[in-house]
Amino acid sequence: MKSLVTIKEGSIGHWVLRLLAAAIVVAIMLWIPTKGSNGLVTSATEALTLMSAAMALNLILGYTGQISIGHSAFYGTGAYVTGILVSKYEWSPWLTFPVAFLFAFVVGVLVSFPASRIKGVYLALVTLALALVFPNLLRWPKLESLTGGGPGIPNGDSALDTTGFNIGRRDGQMRNFEIFGWDPFGDLRGQGAIPFYYWIAAGIAVIVYLVIRGVVKSRAGRSLIAVRDNETAAAVMGVNLVATKAFAFGISAGLCALPGSVTAIRLGAVSPDIATLTILGSLTFLIIMVIGGAGSLWGPIIGAALYVFVTDRTGGWADDEAIPGVLRPFFGWSKIPPGSGIFAVILIVLMFVAPRGLVGVWKQYSPRVVRVVPRPAGVAHDAKPALVADTTTNSTPEGESE
Amino acid sequence: MSLLQVQDVSVRFGGIVALDGLSFDIEDGQICGLIGPIGAGKTTMFNVVSRIYQPTSGQVMFRGQNLIDAPAHGIARLGIARTFQNLALFPTMSLLENVMVGAHSQGKVGFARAVLRIGASKENNATREFAGELLHQLGLGPLMFRPAMGLPFGTLKRLEIARALAARPTFLLMDEPASGLTHGEVDELGDTIVAIRDQFDLTVLLVEHHMSMVMGISDKVVAMEFGRKIAEGTPAQVQADERVIAAYLGTTE
Repeated sequence: MKSLVTIKEGSIGHWVLRLLAAAIVVAIMLWIPTKGSNGLVTSATEALTLMSAAMALNLILGYTGQISIGHSAFYGTGAYVTGILVSKYEWSPWLTFPVAFLFAFVVGVLVSFPASRIKGVYLALVTLALALVFPNLLRWPKLESLTGGGPGIPNGDSALDTTGFNIGRRDGQMRNFEIFGWDPFGDLRGQGAIPFYYWIAAGIAVIVYLVIRGVVKSRAGRSLIAVRDNETAAAVMGVNLVATKAFAFGISAGLCALPGSVTAIRLGAVSPDIATLTILGSLTFLIIMVIGGAGSLWGPIIGAALYVFVTDRTGGWADDEAIPGVLRPFFGWSKIPPGSGIFAVILIVLMFVAPRGLVGVWKQYSPRVVRVVPRPAGVAHDAKPALVADTTTNSTPEGESE
Repeated sequence: MSLLQVQDVSVRFGGIVALDGLSFDIEDGQICGLIGPIGAGKTTMFNVVSRIYQPTSGQVMFRGQNLIDAPAHGIARLGIARTFQNLALFPTMSLLENVMVGAHSQGKVGFARAVLRIGASKENNATREFAGELLHQLGLGPLMFRPAMGLPFGTLKRLEIARALAARPTFLLMDEPASGLTHGEVDELGDTIVAIRDQFDLTVLLVEHHMSMVMGISDKVVAMEFGRKIAEGTPAQVQADERVIAAYLGTTE
């Protein structure tokens, strides 16, 4: 396969390329809250929370190969930890993030123990049960004093039009942002509530991305992929299967709780009826991850952007007049917004043409334009390999890296 | 003291006796061939040593330590590595990454250090260089960035050896390394095994059906049938043993 440009990994050209990509991402992230409409900022916030959750799911499903349909429960755990701590115990919302992470981490580790015994579809069923039980647990009368039961923890003062966190009875929570009298978010707050939530969601997405990137590019990450590809071989190489799965599940669950906390802060209320806290949330994370590309760092990011774009664009399509003319014959029958239906079709088509998701397509075709040649590892000391008598059996010279 | 002492090991799967009181020793630096007809329990023996199977009774002493007390993932750290008969590679990873996973037991960076990036990239680079060297030595250097999936069987067999060596083992178990190889590759493999033993100071336990290779490179051969040892000694002694001949060719009785 010929490529237009070939760049060596670590060369100046490669760094320029990487900086360019980073600059584009930063530019988009800055452009949205400063120049974009309020609607766009809200959609972007939605996309950022969903991509954080999908990235967390990707760690356990995409990289470690452990099916989880229970991540909405971890997401909800984050939302409720934040909601309860802020409304009942008057915590600063910032401090609830680490607590939400740790709490969900522990729950995730507990879930991992059945996961180290069972595989595939059976694990999917166990985690499915978790997703189904979670909203009912929230409604359980005995926990009502904590969770608020069916109605959940309502918005303390819906008329409150400041940028303060507004969960439960507390209002004007912004006071708690001050660090020794210094309010680092004062400038952001000046822009109004919508960009403020955007920045919280963006910060969490960046943290989740960096954590996952750190894990998967290391020895720990390789052990996760090894577990996914071949458990027996991984164990023989010295990978502790139980501990590895427990950690991966814990980190995945903990990270998934963070966007949950963001949701609680953003909505100013939590209830078991929020769609992402139910099984629908799990399925959304799953679809986003699969469409973007499971087992790739950028998959959930691309997937979430596409998902929010499609659902936003089709949001008004219950009304026939809102459907663009060409598409009206296809969706005119729909009495509800057909966004999820359209996405289901995309999913089915993509599974045929690109089972590794959109990032998989990118990885397949981008080398035709720019190919990054990996930095060679180790040095061939002799022309002839030391441990092979005859190298004529190296029968695949095609596609060698130069 | 012998490097490995297999003492009266039995494995039963329900009513089936896969190993029946098997005992043998391997000395340091030897290449020991384990032979026997199909179903004799050779691979079961392997899986006991690499802790994939739990023996019903008996013990396996390695440098005076009972391996049965160690968990499956603890074996690599003791210096024991193995290759698999029907390949147990990580298909989505490149050859380089496969060998890097092989070095897992040598590394230290866990989840916390990976997230906080404490020494993670330094260890990564060292492992990467080491893995690359091994691939070059086994003639796989030019292929190191290709995924393991889809490469020829003979190439992948060699990758298995490279991955096992990445654990810096002192004891290497090879489960039918010659199966599925062409004649030319088998001859080459025998030389490779001897060269590896010499270069890395290894003791090798070899399960193999390819008699000319086993007899050619082994210092000692153990013959099995129906989970029992039927002969043990130098290749010449085992080849002359009546019970071995009977097991392979049958008797006239």
